[in-house]
Amino acid sequence: MQNILFGLIAGSVLAVATSGFALLRNTERFLHIAHGQFMALGAFLGIVLAGPLGVVPAMVVSVLLVSALGVVSGIVLFDPVKEQGANVMLFTSVGLAFVIYAVMIAVFGTQLRVYDVQLGDARDLGPVSIAPGEVVLLLLAALVITGLWLLLSRTSIGRDIRAVASNRELAQVRGVAINRVTRTVWALSSGLAAIGGIMMGVLGSVTTELGWTNILLILAAAVLGGMGNILGVIGAALALGIVMDVSALVIDTSYRPIVAFTILILVLLVKPEGLFSFQKRREVTA
Amino acid sequence: MSVSFLVTIATLALVFSMGSMLLNVESSWGGMWDLGIAGQIAVGAYTYALLTGPPDSAVPGFDLPILAGMIGAAVVVGVVSTVIGWPALRLRGEYFLITTFAFAEILRQLIVIRKDVTGGTFGITSVKKPFAETFTFEAYPYVMLGLTLVLALVVWALCTRLGNSAYGLTLRAARDNEALAQSMGTSISAIRISTYAAVGAMCGFFVAPAYVWFLGALVPSIFVSSLTFTIWTGLVIGGLGSKAGPLLGALVLTIGSEMIRLVEVSPEHAQIISAFHPLLVGLLLIGVLRWRPGGLISERTSFTRSRARLASASATSETDRTPSAQTGSL
Repeated sequence: MQNILFGLIAGSVLAVATSGFALLRNTERFLHIAHGQFMALGAFLGIVLAGPLGVVPAMVVSVLLVSALGVVSGIVLFDPVKEQGANVMLFTSVGLAFVIYAVMIAVFGTQLRVYDVQLGDARDLGPVSIAPGEVVLLLLAALVITGLWLLLSRTSIGRDIRAVASNRELAQVRGVAINRVTRTVWALSSGLAAIGGIMMGVLGSVTTELGWTNILLILAAAVLGGMGNILGVIGAALALGIVMDVSALVIDTSYRPIVAFTILILVLLVKPEGLFSFQKRREVTA
Repeated sequence: MSVSFLVTIATLALVFSMGSMLLNVESSWGGMWDLGIAGQIAVGAYTYALLTGPPDSAVPGFDLPILAGMIGAAVVVGVVSTVIGWPALRLRGEYFLITTFAFAEILRQLIVIRKDVTGGTFGITSVKKPFAETFTFEAYPYVMLGLTLVLALVVWALCTRLGNSAYGLTLRAARDNEALAQSMGTSISAIRISTYAAVGAMCGFFVAPAYVWFLGALVPSIFVSSLTFTIWTGLVIGGLGSKAGPLLGALVLTIGSEMIRLVEVSPEHAQIISAFHPLLVGLLLIGVLRWRPGGLISERTSFTRSRARLASASATSETDRTPSAQTGSL
C-alpha cells in the first residue's frame, strides 16, 4: 500500500508536467523536448528566488517567469519554423533545451540543491503513513489538474484550444483566433512544467540534469495516455508512477526506469493509439 | 596552444563525424529518425572493451585481439539493432523516434545496473588500444589521429558509395514516396531493417572502438542523450542527406566547441566553460534550422552531379529509380 501511495505522489507530479507537454503537442503538433528544461528552470528559480521573496511567493514568481519565457520562445523561436514541419520544431526544441541547460549550468552551477521546505513527520493513516507536506502536494496536483480540466472544458479559450487540437485548419476557417490559442497554450504548458519541476524539487532535490532525466518519462506518459487526450495523459502518468513504485516490490528499484520504458515500448507496439484513446492515430500507419 | 591538444580535438571530431555520417544514412536517406544512436555506440563500446580487456581486471575481459573486438562489437550491435529495429520500425515518424530514445535509455540503465559485466557507474578503466606498445607516449596521439582518420575515410567511402548505389536511391525513394516505391517492387520493411542493422553494425565496428580508444575509459554517463544530440547536431549543421555534409558538420561543431578549452580561466569560471559546449550545440541547432535548414551542404547540391550522371546512364538501365528532386525535407 505504501508503494502505491509513493507511486501516486510521483505520478501526480508527472501528470502535472505531462499535461503541459501534451497540451503543446496537441495544438502545435511537435514533441517539445525542452519541456524538461522548463521544469528544471522552474525548480531552480523557485529555490534561488526563495531568498529574497520567501518560499511560496518565489514559487509563484518562478511559475510566472517560466510561463512568460515559454510564450516568448514560442513567438521568437517556434513560430518562424512552424512551416517547416514537426521535425524541425522538435530539433529547434532540442536546441532550446541545450541553451537553457547551458545557461543553468553557467548561472546555478552543477551542485545539488534542495528546497528549504519540510514535509513534516509521517503519520499513520490506516494502512499507509503520509507526511502533511505530501498531502499538500497531492492536493495541489489535484487542484492544478482540475483547474486545467475546467479551463479546457468550461471556458471559451478552452473550447478554442480543443478546437485547434482536433482540427487546426477547420478551427482557423471557423474564425478561432489561432495566435491567441498558441500564446495561451505556451503559457499554460510552460507554467505547468515549472509547477511540476518545483513539486519534484520539493519531493527530492534539484540538479541541472533534472530536465534530461524527466523528459523521457514525460514522453512515455504522453504516449501511453494517447496524446490527443488530456485526461488519458493524466491517467497514464498516475499509472506509470504507481507501476514504477509497485514494481520495486518485485524487482530491484534500479529497474524502475526500465520498467517504465518497457511498458512504453510494449504499448506502442500493441496499441499505438495509447491506452486511453478511442481514436486510431492516423500518423502511426501513415 | 599545444599541438597535441589540437590533435586530440581533431581525433574526437573525426569520431563524431563517423557517427554523423552513419546517422545520415539511416535518418536522412532512410527516413528513420533515430534518437537511440548513443545506445548503439554504448553497446559497441562495452562489447569492445569486454572482448579485448585483460582477464585479471575488476571487470574480467576476454583478452582478444583488437580486430576480433571490433568484429565482435559489430556483430553484437548489429544483433541488438535488429532486435530494436524489428519492433520499432513498425512505427513511423515520432513514434519511432520515441521508441529508439527509450531503447537507448534502457540500454544505458542496464549498463548501470549490471555492475558484474560493465563495472556499473564506476566503469571500465583499462582498455586495449592499437599499437599502444609500439609508440612512445608523446607520439601516440598522432598515431591515434592517423588511425581514426583512416577509419573515418573508410566510413566516408562506404557511405558515399551507398548513397550513389541503387540501394541508396531505393532507400531515398522509399522515404520520399513510400507507396510509389512499394509499387515499384521494393520491400520497404526489408530495406529499412537491413539499413538499420547495417548502420548499427558499422557503429559497432568503427565508431565505438574509435571512441573507446579516444576516451581510454568507459563510464555509463558518457552515453546519455546529449551524445545522441551532439551527433545529430553535427549532421544537421552539415546538411541532412548530403554526402560530405555530416563529415564537415561534425568537424565544425566539435572543433568549435572544444576550442573554448584553450581559454585560460580561473577555477570559479570553470562552470561557464563547461556550459559552452551545450550552448554552442543549442544555438547552432536553432540557428541552422531557422536560417539554413538544408545545412552547409544540402542534399540537393550533393546529389545534383550524380543525378546528371545517372540520367545519362538511365537510357541503358532497365528501371529508372531516380528519386524525386523535392528532397531536403527534414
